[in-house]
Amino acid sequence: MSNSAIQSGQPSLSNEEREYEMRALISSIWTGGRLFIGIYTFMLASLVFSYFYLRSSDTGLLWRPDHVTAPRAFGFLIFGLSLVTGLLAYVGRKRLVMGSFQDFSVAAWSGVVTGLIALLLQIIELSHLSFYPGSSGYASTFIGFAVMNIVSLVISAYWLETTVARGMRIRREVEGENPEFSSNPRARAFRADVAAMSYFQVFLTLAGALLFAMFYLM
Amino acid sequence: MTNKSTNSTGQVHHLRRMAVVWVIASIIGDILFSIFVAPHVPPGRLTETAAKDQTDFNILFEMALPVLFGVWIYLSYALYFWGDKRNSDVAFSGDAARSNMKTQVSWMVITSVTVLFLAGFGTWALVVDHGSGGGQGPNPAFTPSGSLKAETAALLGKATWSPGSKNILPVQVIGQQWKFTYRYPTFGGFESSQLYLPADTTIAFNVTSLDVIHSFWAYQLGVKADANPQVNDVAFTTTKDPGSFIVRCSELCGIWHGAMYNNGAVLSQSAFENWATTTEAANAANTALLPAFAWTYVPDANGAAGGYYPDGTLTPYSPSEVYGSKQPS
Amino acid sequence: MTISDERSTEVSGPVSGHPHNTRKLSWTQRPGLLSQNLLTAIVFGVIGYLIGHWFGNYLASGYSYIANSGQNSIANTLALAFGVVGWLGGIGALNYPFAKLFGVDGLEEESPVDNWSKYFRYSLDHKIVGLQYVVGVLLFMFTGGLLAMAIRTELLNPTTHIFSPDVYIKIVSEHGTIMMMMATSIIVGPLGNYFVPLMIGARRMAFPRIEALSFWIFTAGYMVIFSALPYGGFPTGWTGYAPLQTQAGPGMVSYLLGFAVIGLGMILAGFNQAVTIINYRAPGMTWSRVPVFVWSILATAALLTLATPVLFAGGLFGLLDKTVQTAFYVDEHGGSSYLWQNLFWFFGHPEVYIMALPGFGIAGELLPVFCRRPLFAYKVSAAGMIGVALLSFFVWQHHLFQSGINPDMRPLFMLTTELISIPTGFIYLVGMGTLYRAKIRFELPMLFVLALFFNFLIGGVTGVFLSDVPVNVTVHGGFFVLSHFHYTIMGGLLFAFMAGLYYWLPKMTGKMMNKKIGKVHFWLMFVFFNLTFFPMFIIGLLGQPRRVFTYATNLQGLNDFSSISAFILGFSFLVFFFNLVYSMWIKPEVAPANPWESLGLEWQTATPVPSYNFERIPVIMTEPYRYSEEGAPAFADFGPKDAPDSPTHTMA
Ligand code: HEM
Ligand SMILES: [Cu+2]
Ligand SMILES: [Cu+2]
Repeated sequence: MSNSAIQSGQPSLSNEEREYEMRALISSIWTGGRLFIGIYTFMLASLVFSYFYLRSSDTGLLWRPDHVTAPRAFGFLIFGLSLVTGLLAYVGRKRLVMGSFQDFSVAAWSGVVTGLIALLLQIIELSHLSFYPGSSGYASTFIGFAVMNIVSLVISAYWLETTVARGMRIRREVEGENPEFSSNPRARAFRADVAAMSYFQVFLTLAGALLFAMFYLM
Repeated sequence: MTNKSTNSTGQVHHLRRMAVVWVIASIIGDILFSIFVAPHVPPGRLTETAAKDQTDFNILFEMALPVLFGVWIYLSYALYFWGDKRNSDVAFSGDAARSNMKTQVSWMVITSVTVLFLAGFGTWALVVDHGSGGGQGPNPAFTPSGSLKAETAALLGKATWSPGSKNILPVQVIGQQWKFTYRYPTFGGFESSQLYLPADTTIAFNVTSLDVIHSFWAYQLGVKADANPQVNDVAFTTTKDPGSFIVRCSELCGIWHGAMYNNGAVLSQSAFENWATTTEAANAANTALLPAFAWTYVPDANGAAGGYYPDGTLTPYSPSEVYGSKQPS
Repeated sequence: MTISDERSTEVSGPVSGHPHNTRKLSWTQRPGLLSQNLLTAIVFGVIGYLIGHWFGNYLASGYSYIANSGQNSIANTLALAFGVVGWLGGIGALNYPFAKLFGVDGLEEESPVDNWSKYFRYSLDHKIVGLQYVVGVLLFMFTGGLLAMAIRTELLNPTTHIFSPDVYIKIVSEHGTIMMMMATSIIVGPLGNYFVPLMIGARRMAFPRIEALSFWIFTAGYMVIFSALPYGGFPTGWTGYAPLQTQAGPGMVSYLLGFAVIGLGMILAGFNQAVTIINYRAPGMTWSRVPVFVWSILATAALLTLATPVLFAGGLFGLLDKTVQTAFYVDEHGGSSYLWQNLFWFFGHPEVYIMALPGFGIAGELLPVFCRRPLFAYKVSAAGMIGVALLSFFVWQHHLFQSGINPDMRPLFMLTTELISIPTGFIYLVGMGTLYRAKIRFELPMLFVLALFFNFLIGGVTGVFLSDVPVNVTVHGGFFVLSHFHYTIMGGLLFAFMAGLYYWLPKMTGKMMNKKIGKVHFWLMFVFFNLTFFPMFIIGLLGQPRRVFTYATNLQGLNDFSSISAFILGFSFLVFFFNLVYSMWIKPEVAPANPWESLGLEWQTATPVPSYNFERIPVIMTEPYRYSEEGAPAFADFGPKDAPDSPTHTMA
């Protein structure tokens, strides 16, 4: 998430000024991460609103005839896998803070894999539905949910992948520095990024639990 | 004069001058408005509802005029007296001018009181006027007494109305691309493309649509209600003297939206009864072919109104199962 | 932070000087045939479009009733979506997200091409993005304006028609949608991007790539929404109500996707602005020293980021209805057309304040400069903007008073709507307070600001009429509403934009706008704006609904009056364009460093602004706007020219 367009030819700053900008950069990652959660909340909330709106208006008694439900097996698998992804991101970050980049990268890569499997399953599930998209209000909102879930899973996997990849590159390029401790600016920005990332993953998991309950359990 | 304004008495001076002009202008403006404009303000006074809507508008306008005048007078005064050229010798006291507690607090109090008064007044008007002629959905919140009875009777085909009966007259408005038609459940449910209403009668418009959203705007009646497919949008009005009015569609409904209008009239009670009974008789053969009177008419999901699954078997739920019976109000 | 505090004296800040880290200029940035610029964007966009179209037809080939019908929404949607992706890829916006997969963190950026062609590239310099936005919104506005002229031409006569009803409704819809999209960015985009960092003493934006992306998405959105016309247009107006939406032809896809794309750009723009303002303020710039323009952008950014996702989701559902045949908005299949109205207006009302707050900000920013005294009740103005932003999430159903949706909630929404006029009124308190015993300089920007106060007053007062449910019965859905929101958006926001341009163009370009031509522009625009739109209040009260191609014959006089005024209003924009060309290219007049004698930070740096904005991070010493105090301390301390402890230049 961190970007910096620092161009050559500009006057140099004192170290104090550099540190000031560095902190602005780190706190931007923090603020940005939280604001992104806000944005995402409003998007998912539109789906939740639609679900309950159609459910309570039950136009023409066609909200959910015969209580059709999307295949539960898929639902449990997908949600389970994204839960694992979220947990891995969370635990990975914890381990990173405690000083183990190794653990973090194992957790993150596993998270990427579970996330991608969940993504694949989510796509496959769409061809195994027992109802047509337009057959009921539930069916429609379910399709909307599936699409948003695909987006969430892609973002989740992408963010996890880019953070580990970044950590690994820093290890390679910044000599003698471990991204978990180093005060090299790149390492500091990296840690802020991981923090924002794991926060977002936890948020996605919680939101995912709500949506899972709405579409598969209720 | 302007050089005096450097001291604090000068400040009072400016505001007092403006206030005097403002009070006079507002009073004159409001009086002129009330005499010359207010009686002609739309939607006129053809119905009780329209008359009340007009009164509300006029009250709002009489309150708005002083607000407009206040700002305009202040702006003109400021531009005239405080222009750069005119008072080049003025020096200003910096910090004192950054804020002024008294001004700020009184501004907030005045605006808040005005706004709360307006909201209270609007709500009161809405309630006492049974929804002010606006569409209130299938379960209206602010109803004239007897409306539920009349509406239930209409659905069961038992509604009655005759001159002098004081009964509420339910009328159904059906919007479709691009015309309005009207059904009279009290008279056997015949359908007409003319809208006639009896004088001195409370009308319950039941507005629905067969396709997209339209809006039934009976301008001089002070009635506006969206026509939604599958929804019965109810609006009330009470007619007074006979007169004619125009009906327009006021929600964009496609290409010919602009041409979706017709005229209607409030007739004397006997003339209305005469028209209704003759039309009922004349249309009897057609009425028999119409779907039974219901609050909404649902297009056939199997394709008649554009169902999504043309090879019939794919439509999983037969609409006749769902919509066989009339819907409750 | 303790370690880094201690170590920060040893390492050399964000840019580490390790030589093997400085990468070479990538081929995408190098001048020459292979570099990425507007042309590659167009080529990639077209290729994307074609691939998407083919792919959509391929996907739908099994469904005999859509394939080759010319109405294949799947093909249209994918074509446009792939076209957008191609456009973004072609301009180079996707290079970095892609490189991130390989761990690139972008903390070091090679310096891009530095010649005129930088304006046609993906640029991370917020000043360039700001200028790109100026051109972008003017293009948008010009397109929308031409369509407006067409509308007023048709309405010259109630019975003789120039367009068929079909074409007319498409013109109206396209005009409304383009204008609404343009208005969301008209100030945040050009002036916000250019000046917010300068005004808060920042040397950069928080997320320059996101900022640049927002611009290129904005342009893509423009093309998507414009594509509705060749697709046959859409008949729903800018509100896109279902079931008309469901019923409409392929042009509807452009509307839905266009709004989703523009929405994405709005979210990104707001996101970057909010984060920048929160984190990149110079030392000493406490919240009570932030310029009001920045406050207004912050409040707007809050709306942009939180309200727009709802539009995005609403558009997505609409697209699903059109493509995979879900039934979100289809009553017959368990959906609800009310759902769209709720989603749309939940976004839609905050949206109207997205189109008002930046205007208030410009007014507040310019008044002290031209009144030569401090802004009156600074805190109240900030509170007003925040109050408006918050309340605007709770009023959306005032657009649905007659719809039959939640009729019992009408008193509540009437109350919340009217409550908004309290914080809106704060802006008038601030404006009038600042004029009090001022020393007003009637420069061009000031004239536009004064006009804003005049126009917005009428817009705001009529808003109160609209919010009164009994009055709403008569005025809803008619020309009264139309006039109301033109008074707020055009009379407010557009006048503010013009004020901002006349005020800041000297900084952005180093050239003054010609004052004489500017005066002609102002008076034409102000007078004929009012003459165009004021009659529409009366037309509306007399019963003319919106979006009609014909009307009662007794209204022809008023309509013609309005139309003719509209043509002159349109002409005033030509005067503006002429002034722009004249003052920038034909007879440029070099602008003084600080032509308006402003104390604002943005005027204290060099012109043209160097890419790093300020040589040293400025330290803010006091409140803004201390115009009337003799000997007031300088607003900011710009530090010694050369930092004593600065290491030798390490950057390549
Ligand atoms: C005091 C402030 C305001 C109040 C009380 C207010 C109130 C309203 C109300 C009640 C409506 C619905 C009218 C109807 O359709 O029946 C409306 C419509 C509208 N307002 Fe405002 N408004 C205010 C300020 C603004 C501002 C600042 C803007 C834009 C910058 C704006 C833009 C619009 C637009 C675009 C519509 C038309 C929507 C449509 O039907 O297409 N309003 N306003
Ligand atoms: Cu219509
Ligand atoms: Cu609104």
